[in-house]
Amino acid sequence: MMKKLYWLIVIAALGVGIPLPAFAAVNVFACEPEWAALAREVGGDRVEAYAATHANQDPHHIRARPSLIAKIRRADLVFCSGAGLEVGWLPLLLQRGGAAIQPGERGHFMAAAHVEVVEKPALLDRSLGDLHPEGNPHVHLDPRNISLLAQELAARLSAIDPAGADFYAQRLRTFEASWSASMTGWNARAKALSGAPVIVHHKSWSYLIRWIGLQEVAVLEAKPGIPPSPSYLSKLLKRSRSQPAKVILRTPYDDAAPSEWLSQRTNVPALALPLTVDRDAGEGALADLFQLLLSRLEDADVRP
Amino acid sequence: MTIRSIAAIAAFAASLHVIPAAAQEVKPQDLKAVLKEVREMKQAYEKRIETLEAKLQTLSQDQTKAQESTVTGRVQGKGNAFNPSINAVIVGTATSFSRDASELSGFGIGEEGERGSEGLSLGETELNFSSNIDDKFFGSVTAAIVREDGSDKVELEEAYFQTLPGIGFPDGMRLKAGRAFWTLGYLNEHHQHSDDFADRPLPYRVYLNKSFNDDGAELSWVLPTDFYSEVGGGVFRGDDFPFGGSASGLGGWSAFGRVGGDIGDNQSWRLGAYTLQGDVNGRQTNEDAITFVGQSNLYAVDLRYTWAPTGNAREQELTLQAEYFQRFEDGEYNVGNGNGLVSFDDDSNGWYAQAVYKFAPAWRIGARYSRMGAPDVPLGLVGSTLDSAGHDPEAFAVMGDWTNSEYGRIRAQYNREELSDRQTDNQFVLQYIMSIGAHGAHPY
Repeated sequence: MMKKLYWLIVIAALGVGIPLPAFAAVNVFACEPEWAALAREVGGDRVEAYAATHANQDPHHIRARPSLIAKIRRADLVFCSGAGLEVGWLPLLLQRGGAAIQPGERGHFMAAAHVEVVEKPALLDRSLGDLHPEGNPHVHLDPRNISLLAQELAARLSAIDPAGADFYAQRLRTFEASWSASMTGWNARAKALSGAPVIVHHKSWSYLIRWIGLQEVAVLEAKPGIPPSPSYLSKLLKRSRSQPAKVILRTPYDDAAPSEWLSQRTNVPALALPLTVDRDAGEGALADLFQLLLSRLEDADVRP
Repeated sequence: MTIRSIAAIAAFAASLHVIPAAAQEVKPQDLKAVLKEVREMKQAYEKRIETLEAKLQTLSQDQTKAQESTVTGRVQGKGNAFNPSINAVIVGTATSFSRDASELSGFGIGEEGERGSEGLSLGETELNFSSNIDDKFFGSVTAAIVREDGSDKVELEEAYFQTLPGIGFPDGMRLKAGRAFWTLGYLNEHHQHSDDFADRPLPYRVYLNKSFNDDGAELSWVLPTDFYSEVGGGVFRGDDFPFGGSASGLGGWSAFGRVGGDIGDNQSWRLGAYTLQGDVNGRQTNEDAITFVGQSNLYAVDLRYTWAPTGNAREQELTLQAEYFQRFEDGEYNVGNGNGLVSFDDDSNGWYAQAVYKFAPAWRIGARYSRMGAPDVPLGLVGSTLDSAGHDPEAFAVMGDWTNSEYGRIRAQYNREELSDRQTDNQFVLQYIMSIGAHGAHPY
């Protein structure tokens, strides 16, 4: 009797522990949370989006861990930044995925391929640090890019799930309407900040800086991916006396020490700004991100 | 507005002014003329609207076509995208041992399983070429140049192709064939230069002669479960340790199953079970002094766990790893002690556990303990190398390494090995591992 009960419990536990795949028309594997959020905006209930990384992780340095293999295996659409950001881990994962998400197929959507990419290096050599040969991949920080990508995303989703084409078109219209409305407000606020000098830890903010019109006067990392040495920081300190900045920007996953060090000696605020949204972010999260970024810059009294 | 309509309206307006008195009373023929003009205007505008609508239709069709081509368009490869990724890994060590000689008792040990060389020496220089072959296949060749017996030899470590998803197998299924570091335990699949320690743990040295890379084929399948699960199996020629001297050319097979997943946002784990079984038609060990013929069945379990305390694994990360092996051998040993072929039907085991903590982006420390459980020896083998006199070989290691980038690493390690009864060897190792060229991603 007890043995039967025991087995019943075991089987029940197994039943709960092996959940059946949730039904969604399109499974989206997003490399970064911003793309998962955009997929949810345009795809609504017809899309099940999974973000492979979260806001505290550096998307350059991810290991192809077991859960990512399981998620990509069932993905219909892989939505990533591209431009080499995920080159250290995505190719390995793609080898375990389906045929429809391979490069060149409609299920392979790299954001950087559809927007204007900045900072393509003229010279490539490992002594110059971790360079991205295809340019700066953090394309989501320009709201105009988000708009362009939403359109392409709707097209991709409609191609993968033709039955939902009207639904995606409707959601795209709604998103575009609210996004353009928000952008008018943001553009006005950006204008007030335009021209202000900033220092960044790593070149993660280039698209935001370009959109707002800020001036990037220095990068704490002498070479991308290589932490700044004390001598280089001293050089920056000297330079900042003649070229003062209004704020020092870093992401949550950047080392705080260099920013704090420089901030204390120059009396310039060091801000840790979110680079992206939450992993499970829903509708409105992307708009909130730009709201937050502008507010934090305004609060720090960033004016030209 | 057309000239005619303007003229018509002007005429009407003019007629109002010119004949003000007469305009007090609108004549029917004037009204008719105006109505006619209005009708004609309406028709003209309607025609124009029709033309514009038609143009819009064609434009939107063109746009849909353009969108479709974006959606299904093939990405044009860049010039250098067709070149393979070429990579050379150079490894060198400076080592000091406290014992002149180190023997591992209780087991027949192959050349790679023996202790490294003392003093300054170059380790294996590894060259790797890998690339997609076409839409269906991926290939990789790894050759190691190593100094053996006073001269440099080239050893082919890997030369395999594996299928890509474009081949049309069921989703998640993959075939790999050729010579490769097969799926067995945790470390076997990885190239030694990416290990967390300067040497392989005892079970790998004893049971796999550092790594198993026979000629063969392996089929694996990632199951469509929500958590990670994978099963697979392979068939092999039967030449590489633990096999040897393959008679039929098809002497071994393997099977494995793995599961894994995330715990929260910052932890991940993977558990695997493996087996490697087959005929040993003459495996020579201990510098060819010992030969084994028979059947060898190896079972292994591995567990790996990683945790990033701050969420950013680049900054801080703890990894725990352990593997347990059990080998059943049924055959005959010849240890050259005059007893000829001695029947042997027993099992032995071996395991290791390690912890590595990255406390800063470029700095890691680690500790590892490994131990072998020597088998009981039959009478005919008493007193030989295979008789450990009840001693279980063990080794303890601590290491610290500095990693400038994924391409350059320097490590200092201390080993305390007691491989035979009352023979303790204290080893110090200083090692560099440098990678030149494109570096493929490491698996989990």
